[in-house]
Amino acid sequence: MDIKITEELDNTLKDNGFKQEEILDLIESAESSGTKLKAREGDIAIAKGGSDNLTVYAVYSPDELLDVYAHKMNILGLTGGELSEIDYDDASDWACAKCGEIALERNVDMTYMGVTRPGPGLVCPKCDEFYVSDGVAKTLKTAEAILEEKRA
Amino acid sequence: MPAKDYAPIDQNWLEEAGSLWTTPWVDKPSERVIVDPIILSHAASLFRKNAGYFYQNPDEAIRMVCHACELYDVTPVGHYLYADYWGQDYGAEIKVQTNSPPGITNRPIKTAEDVDNFEVLETEDLVKGPTLTTHYKALDTCKEEFPHMFAPITQLGGTMEVATNWAAIEDVFMWMITEPEVVDKLCKKAGDHMVNACKATSDRYGANVMITGSVIASGDLMDTEQIKRFSFQPVSRAVRKVLNAGAGPGVYYHLCGNHTDDYQMWKNAPMSPFTIVQIGYDGQNIFPTTKLVEAFGDRCTCFGTVDTKLVDRGTPAQVYEQAKEQVIAGKDSPRGFILGTACECPTNAPPVNVRALVKAAKDHGKYEKF
Repeated sequence: MDIKITEELDNTLKDNGFKQEEILDLIESAESSGTKLKAREGDIAIAKGGSDNLTVYAVYSPDELLDVYAHKMNILGLTGGELSEIDYDDASDWACAKCGEIALERNVDMTYMGVTRPGPGLVCPKCDEFYVSDGVAKTLKTAEAILEEKRA
Repeated sequence: MPAKDYAPIDQNWLEEAGSLWTTPWVDKPSERVIVDPIILSHAASLFRKNAGYFYQNPDEAIRMVCHACELYDVTPVGHYLYADYWGQDYGAEIKVQTNSPPGITNRPIKTAEDVDNFEVLETEDLVKGPTLTTHYKALDTCKEEFPHMFAPITQLGGTMEVATNWAAIEDVFMWMITEPEVVDKLCKKAGDHMVNACKATSDRYGANVMITGSVIASGDLMDTEQIKRFSFQPVSRAVRKVLNAGAGPGVYYHLCGNHTDDYQMWKNAPMSPFTIVQIGYDGQNIFPTTKLVEAFGDRCTCFGTVDTKLVDRGTPAQVYEQAKEQVIAGKDSPRGFILGTACECPTNAPPVNVRALVKAAKDHGKYEKF
């Protein structure tokens, strides 16, 4: 893929300590493995990568990087341990590119600095893959800052 | 009373109380369970003012609350809110009352057709409206004068609370039976409004603690299917949208009233790393903390309660006994515990009863696991 990165987004990457090459590798890996979310409408996808200490997401179209965000909280799995029936519409705007299942918005257990609590995740019900949205990453950033301050 | 007329807050107390308060969310060891009796206009009674004065003077209200927190040695947070939020922004009339919080007297939605034509205000309009103007006056005072007691709270209520602040409760309940799809629309709009309101607070302060849940949608007024359809589902969608909009991270599910038949469904409500669940009653009785911890203890912070009627009309010994029972059952809840009251501390509750509540936490709420 030939992904264009605007100067504005490149500056954002630099401000947040990301390297262009790392993000492009992450996208490349998602494209080759199929482990990514794709929009149910349109041609946007979300790739994820990183480590236990930082999960990085790249939102991209076939020709342009649209957004990059990250969180430090490490997702352990579904809150409650299993995907049981719930009583409201939890279908997200995303589908798993690998199996085609619609990604569900469910609570997932997240851990950071020894503290484990639920947070809202995007879950592929078949592949056991977990993602978060860009908005939730913003919420998690506030949560992480509070934990860093209070656990220090 | 202007700020200069208050004695300074004891900084040693504030540091200790702040440590107790954050324990439930961050698993950081502290001595004992914190107590939050949800002090609002009760603070005014300590200063020989009435509820009407409290709600007409949000800056003074927050000073009274913060000093009441110190007096009682409870959660150091400058709360300011009341139940009838969000009507006035949409054209409702508010009546200021001497001995209780403001009440709505004339609501903007009169007919089912009005629901179709009703438009939810955008975030920028809500910021200029009477609810947030007043609410932010209190929060700004707290941030400036009591920065360590500041929490950017948005009082949302649940979708049924917002709906019945827009339309008369008797109309909403009639539509639930005759035209339930009208209430669906109303609750959807209430949910959209909740998202815009949370975004306003988040934009202003960089974070947001939303108070939501279900007060009117309780087992005494609605059946379980109605609670699911008009409260749990639209509230869950709204909370999910709020979190997806980056307007978290605090979520406080305040399930006031009787929730015997519906409390289990709230286990699957959207949660953030800073979620509290509080349930008022189990039938006619206070909701047992053992039951609360069993359902929610492995998910979020549990808020165990003492009956507000007891705090208002009981003896200190009765309050102490119930508080003791609840705190012993909840203090070691895996994701933290707060002891409080089933709803707002009654305006004219005897101060000795509030003290009895706190004393029970001090005597029996020592942490064993943290």
